[in-house]
Amino acid sequence: MHEYNPGFALSAPRQGKIALLGYLIESFEAAHKLGLDFVAVVPPGFEVGLQNDGIDAIVWDFDLINDQSDALLQQCLDRNVRVAVPLYEECVEWAGALNARIQNNPRLFNRGLLFRDKAMMKRKAQMSGLRVGVFEEVYNRDDVKRFFKRVNEALMNVDGDVEDPVHLKPTRAAGSVGHCIIRSNKNIDELPDDVFPCMVESHLDGQEFSVEAFIHNGKIWFMNINEYVHLGYSQVLPPGPELEAERAKIRRAVEKLVKAFNMDNGVIHPEYFIDAEGELNFGEVANRIPGGHIFDLIHRAYGFDPFAAQLLCADPQTSDAELIAFFPDEVNGIQGYAGNVMIYPQKPRVTMLDVPEELLSDPLYEKHDMFEPVNAKVAERVGFGNHYGKINFYGDDPEAIKQRLIQWEKFDFYK
Amino acid sequence: MISTNSTELHTKSAAGDSLPTATTAQSVAKISQDFDTALTQLEQAAVFAKERYQTDVFQLAGQLLQSNEGMLALQQYAQRFDAAGVFHKGPWEHPDKLMPQLVGGGLLGETVYPVLESLSELRMLAIATGKSEHAQMSAQQAIQFLRDVIINNLDLMFGDSSEASRQRPQIFARAQRLLNLIAAQIPMAGLRDEVVAEIGFIQAQRPILVQRSIDLIHYAERLPKQDEAAVSSELLETYVRALGKPGPLSQASADLTDYRRLLRTAESHQIEAECKAFAYTLQETGLSNPWHAVLLRFLGRQHPELLAMALGVNDYGIATISEDESLAVDLLRVAITPATHAAIYGFAGLLERGLLNRPAVAAGLRRLVDLDIHPEVTKLLLENYPKGHGLTANMILLAGTFSVLGQPLGIGQGHNPTCQAARGISLWSRHEPNYLLELIATAARNDLVEIEFEGVQLSSADLLGGVAGGKIDARLDPVSRLLVPHLDRLYDEFMRRAALRGEDGHKWVNRALYGRQIASGFASILDITGCVSGYEDFLRLFYASHHPDYNDEHELIYPNPVGLLITDIHGRLLGPHAVSILRVATDTDNKLRIYFFNPNNEGRQNWGQDIKPTVSGHGEVPGESSLPFEQFVSRLYAYHYSPYETGDAFAVTAEALQRIESMARSSWGEAYTWL
Repeated sequence: MHEYNPGFALSAPRQGKIALLGYLIESFEAAHKLGLDFVAVVPPGFEVGLQNDGIDAIVWDFDLINDQSDALLQQCLDRNVRVAVPLYEECVEWAGALNARIQNNPRLFNRGLLFRDKAMMKRKAQMSGLRVGVFEEVYNRDDVKRFFKRVNEALMNVDGDVEDPVHLKPTRAAGSVGHCIIRSNKNIDELPDDVFPCMVESHLDGQEFSVEAFIHNGKIWFMNINEYVHLGYSQVLPPGPELEAERAKIRRAVEKLVKAFNMDNGVIHPEYFIDAEGELNFGEVANRIPGGHIFDLIHRAYGFDPFAAQLLCADPQTSDAELIAFFPDEVNGIQGYAGNVMIYPQKPRVTMLDVPEELLSDPLYEKHDMFEPVNAKVAERVGFGNHYGKINFYGDDPEAIKQRLIQWEKFDFYK
Repeated sequence: MISTNSTELHTKSAAGDSLPTATTAQSVAKISQDFDTALTQLEQAAVFAKERYQTDVFQLAGQLLQSNEGMLALQQYAQRFDAAGVFHKGPWEHPDKLMPQLVGGGLLGETVYPVLESLSELRMLAIATGKSEHAQMSAQQAIQFLRDVIINNLDLMFGDSSEASRQRPQIFARAQRLLNLIAAQIPMAGLRDEVVAEIGFIQAQRPILVQRSIDLIHYAERLPKQDEAAVSSELLETYVRALGKPGPLSQASADLTDYRRLLRTAESHQIEAECKAFAYTLQETGLSNPWHAVLLRFLGRQHPELLAMALGVNDYGIATISEDESLAVDLLRVAITPATHAAIYGFAGLLERGLLNRPAVAAGLRRLVDLDIHPEVTKLLLENYPKGHGLTANMILLAGTFSVLGQPLGIGQGHNPTCQAARGISLWSRHEPNYLLELIATAARNDLVEIEFEGVQLSSADLLGGVAGGKIDARLDPVSRLLVPHLDRLYDEFMRRAALRGEDGHKWVNRALYGRQIASGFASILDITGCVSGYEDFLRLFYASHHPDYNDEHELIYPNPVGLLITDIHGRLLGPHAVSILRVATDTDNKLRIYFFNPNNEGRQNWGQDIKPTVSGHGEVPGESSLPFEQFVSRLYAYHYSPYETGDAFAVTAEALQRIESMARSSWGEAYTWL
């Protein structure tokens, strides 16, 4: 892999530490390589290994919310922490709370909360003039039934038409965790009680993609477009020519979003739909490292370490000169196209792994991480999290990579 | 130090070799290159970030392990594994803490584990061949480790197919390739000696179950001959003969029917030679063969006077037969057939113990001949025997009863957590054979066992549960298969009833289960909270009740069921285990030892701290294990004693107690809170 910026170094040493919220080796390593002094704030059980390896770690239970939370702030202040960086969805409001206190800017906490509530986030986007679907917060099944009925009435469906689906999502969960599609009143009756409160929204047609925008002082320094080939299964970046042609339009939409959320420093990961007419619809946005190993693909395609980029962008002390030196050009800096496909077993029980020679000898094939499976029941999927393996492709033709992703997603590797 | 005379092992090709794999020379070169890159990245990663780069290394290693060429290519990197962090933060991190017995399970494991296990062996091979050095492991230790791996996994190395290997051909083929690679590169001289010694360790205990010995004998035959000691060649020959056809006539016969025909026309001196040959291998090895059964059945009909000679029994055995020859012959002709020949050694033991002369035992055995066996039990008994031999459940049950009565110390628990039940069967076989026969009859006829607990008659038929949860290893001997499920449920129920009494329940349960001969005093260091307390008093009392210098020379009359805390080779606690102290005596070196029955039937144990129970060489009778007095006591946590037969607890020296306590505290004691 050609490194874009192998000799990159901070132009000036930093004062104090950064706090990394969550356990992510990639980010720890990036901080280590950049020479950023950091403390890892990790859930109980994760600290021992880190401390044994000489890493400063604070134990914190992110699920527990009570009036002891000041203790975390105090531990950070004792270490002269200047900024907190969230690595996972669940840590976003904690980072907001810490930064609000450390930087004496209470709105940073509100923004953290905004990123964590999908309904609030959508409302904010709508108020700022972004195109979003119709949505509502719901508290019971009757709410959902009324929304479902009203949406279909608005679409002028009459009795006997196939009803248009609506989507139901928890307001506080990463990506597609807990997402389900409502196609009929029967689906609504079958919902468990504990999904409420949550939100429902109308269905958006079109090609879905995500953007990873690296922002510092309110400016987008690097914008990656990630094309979902099959959402939750496969993606390629930079995207194919059709989506690439819309880069300027997408950039304007992201700039609008940055402004709407008063985003100054860090990474955002919004998702959009682009319809047949080329209109963008905003789906949702997260303030964390995206799933689906997208950062690994960015690293492969552009040659810079996105985990390091996130830290540089999150840090108010980073200079423009450093960012100029760090980021390649979005369009001319492309080294190649990188794609991956997540592999899920297609049977309820699996015992054997079969990786065909055709895949291994394909020049576009790069690597896979599948092992002989455990002879046991395949776990239920939660969100798009627990895939059993993934395959990486790399080359200079995004359309050829997309074809491989579609081909191998269907293949049954686990017998 | 690679041995150039690389050993040619005649191993079957496992099914997996024929599968297409991505391992042409070209692709091996490409994967090696990728592996080199991945390993270099791992090497360069900061110590806390190793895990991020391990997956790629494991994945590419897994692909290389798919072929011989790939494995050889991978081996070239092995000296870099440790420093690069391949095993960082995993169970394979420290080679000196690994156990050769666990390698086989690792190689057949799932997901990434077989790859890691293979990498660990390649690292060990690099140490063994001097390509890399390790502070905690010498080349010699690495060689010994790998030799032990081979000895423990001869089945995998020879690629014998099994149901499991048919289901996962690639995994088994990979294990076979790796073991052959190791065998070709480390000195293999003397490996046959070690296998033969291992067979010796097992057979010295005269176990009822001999399948492991049989397998090892066959593997030893297939190992290359390399300057082994003459004595072990001779021994192996005896083992092979014991499993085959020891007698001259049997060797001349084509099959069992032919042998029967030859015997009927043989001269009397020929028959006597036959008897002596079979008796010799039986008594030397504890192993029998189907031909021996044919000979015994023939003698029973034509020459009952030669039975003692054909079994090689001692004077007690001879006397037993002569007292009631017809009973001995009748029992033999019912139960000893080519398919049940494994009971021949037990039958000889039964005769030597003179049990047939006890009216209750004789009647108890006779009853089994035509006992009306429960259909479920019939199914259970016939399960492990081949069809088409005209076997009945009664024949199998009677043959199995010969084994437990003739080899009371050869009873084993197999792969079951049922040491209590195995210990019980052994105790009754030695001291209450009529009671054992009663249990066998009730269990076989009524499919239940009844034992009284503190005035309440409990029946296994009314109980669920059990320590083994009803999952009993099918490879047990017939009597154990019959009784263990019942005894296990009863024991579990007894323990349940004795729980919450504030003391170890075994105080009451042992006497209820094993019988009233168990001494009424009971000492344990574990209270119900699982803390250790009163250790010094516990030790002093044990000395005063068991050590001949302090116990007023009271002899141990009935086996004492005691509880041990078993530890592994590093002294770490594995768990509690039930054994019986059989006797306390001085060995040939005039050293005081405790001789005990371990239902675990495992010859070569190592409990750490240089505590290694032996099964021979220190005056053990077959089936006994033994340890020096202090070493045994250091693992003891509960025992029975007679309050009327204790001596001078105060006189025990503080130094001895100090030594024991320090062994205990620094081994299993680390897992407990000491009060």
